[in-house]
Amino acid sequence: MELTAQAIFTGLLMGGFYGLVAVGLALVFGTMKVINLAHGELVLLAAYIAYAVESQTGINPLLAMPIAMAVVIAASLITFYLTNKIKKDRELNSLILTFGLGIVLTNGLLMVFSADIYSTQNAWFMEGLVIADSLFSMRSEMLAFVVGLCALGGLYWWLNHTWHGRAIRSVSSNRDAAKLMGMNPTKAELWSWGVAGVLAALAGVMLYVTSVIHPPIGHSLTIKAFIITVLAGMGSIPGVLVGALMIGVIEGLTTTFFQSSLSELASMTVFLLVLLVMPSGLFGKKGGH
Amino acid sequence: MKFLSLSGFIGCALGMALGAGFSSPAHSANFVIGEHTPLSGKLARVGTGSHRGVMTGIKVLNDKYAGQHTFELKTIDDESSPAKAVSAVEKLASEGVIAFSGGYASGVIGPASEAANKAQIPYITFGGVATALSQRGHEGFFRINSAAGYGKAIVGLVDEMGLKSVSIAYSNKEATHKMAGYIEKKLSEKGLKVSTHEYDAHVKDFKSIVNKIKLRDRSEAILMVGYESEYVGILRAAKLLKPDVKAMIGVWSLATGKMAKEFPDLMENVYGTAMLPFPVSFNSPKQKLFYEAFKANFKDEPSYLEQFGYVQTRLLGEAIVRAFDKNELNLKGIAGELRKTDEETISGRVRFDEHGDNPEFVQRVGQHQKGTIPLVWPATSKTGEKVFPGTPWQ
Repeated sequence: MELTAQAIFTGLLMGGFYGLVAVGLALVFGTMKVINLAHGELVLLAAYIAYAVESQTGINPLLAMPIAMAVVIAASLITFYLTNKIKKDRELNSLILTFGLGIVLTNGLLMVFSADIYSTQNAWFMEGLVIADSLFSMRSEMLAFVVGLCALGGLYWWLNHTWHGRAIRSVSSNRDAAKLMGMNPTKAELWSWGVAGVLAALAGVMLYVTSVIHPPIGHSLTIKAFIITVLAGMGSIPGVLVGALMIGVIEGLTTTFFQSSLSELASMTVFLLVLLVMPSGLFGKKGGH
Repeated sequence: MKFLSLSGFIGCALGMALGAGFSSPAHSANFVIGEHTPLSGKLARVGTGSHRGVMTGIKVLNDKYAGQHTFELKTIDDESSPAKAVSAVEKLASEGVIAFSGGYASGVIGPASEAANKAQIPYITFGGVATALSQRGHEGFFRINSAAGYGKAIVGLVDEMGLKSVSIAYSNKEATHKMAGYIEKKLSEKGLKVSTHEYDAHVKDFKSIVNKIKLRDRSEAILMVGYESEYVGILRAAKLLKPDVKAMIGVWSLATGKMAKEFPDLMENVYGTAMLPFPVSFNSPKQKLFYEAFKANFKDEPSYLEQFGYVQTRLLGEAIVRAFDKNELNLKGIAGELRKTDEETISGRVRFDEHGDNPEFVQRVGQHQKGTIPLVWPATSKTGEKVFPGTPWQ
């Protein structure tokens, strides 16, 4: 019982973090139908900025958030600018472009920071948190989960209750109609990439304080984010949360009761089964792609 | 008479001059050694360390044979990819390298050394410990360490501790999988209860595994067979869950100055294999030679990676010179000379058996103690005493 409870608890915390990583990708995918394969590297960039600030100044890495946001938003907007230049077969060509950008970013980080592994030196984040005497986590993991929930909730509210959010949703729904309604689709897309950058920065700083960072992990973050995005359904923020939590819990339970080497297989199997039954994803519109 | 003696003198002088002119080129050469190593990708950290050691070996060889021979190193980044390693070997072979020093990870070294074998070029490494690598019948394949050496050290340490049960958490990559299997077999033969937990390289959260060890296995020690980021993950989970164990033991890449510096709160009392204590102290003439050559090019301190890279390169260079002197600068000649190697190096005794393995290789074990890493096993190499029982949370 204790094992099961810990597995589910760990899975939920992990899922919250996955959701935070995935939501930026989901936002851009939903708006422009573009899969940003450099998304994981943007998250990693933020993590390295947090490392750089902490190692140079000794301050709490959370205080690196403004710098991380500024840099990652800039990188995200550059990616948008380049993607926007693609006029033909944008969905395919943007995959290739962003994949290449991801490689450039990874190797750039490698050149600047070397391949050494880094993690926060701030002991507060590593301190244990015990809930109900039997559920253990690090403070940073709980923080990442809470930040993930808040970010997803905040984004959902923003998309539904602000002008820019509704503009993004309308462009995502029907670009031409949105244009006819007086909206500037390019501006809406710009906003979505900018917000995706903010979310990636949040995820990156959380990554740094919860885990170990080194250049190659950007790619695996992108894959995870992509799977959750597709599982969630096109542009669905609640879907991202549910999908991420589902993946996290499946991985936790598989690791506990079988082997951790099967955890990715288990989550992939569930992913495929869900898509077989619900091709548009958990919260996608029926008939959508 | 005077004319004859003068002409004789001139003749002798001319003969000597001509003789010197003809003999000098025959006794000196420029040897080009090839290296493929991961300078980017997942294995960049270890590849960079290895490369620095190889460069140090080249420097020492050039200093030793200055005025006589020169050694040139040609390096290609294999990006931690087997396919790129093969391309690198083929490219370097086409550029006329006479031997290879380098490579990391059994999965990369395997295909790369196959390519070297096809090109009839000898290949020496320390970066691949999979047993199968030396069982392929390649005349020119050599390595200065082996999985058995690491395994013997861990088994020896556990035996000395008198433990009755251990849990092994290991990565499912080839080398770690085989190492875990070896340790499990040897410890089971000694009557210990051994539980194993395989994990995928992508796993970031190890709480589930450590919780299983804590609640189900209830072992006396946790053995970790993996790589740096995984050790950190397991130790973090263990520090949180506090399983009732007497020791946390890792294999490679754990008992290093880097880990002591980056993760001091996680490393206390943790064991890992190490050729050198930390801080390093180089006292013997051979150690000082290595250290000074290394510091001439690099600012920080060398680790076991640099040390191994240096040893394999220097042994290779010496074998090349001997083969050259015998006019046998080819695979057979160099491999033959390498097989005659029997030397006490700064990494211990090195000699090569018929498979190219070094049967003398036995790793040592260090333990993190308040920012230092004394060697605590075997007794003949000790520089400090074990803190046992001891874990990072005690």
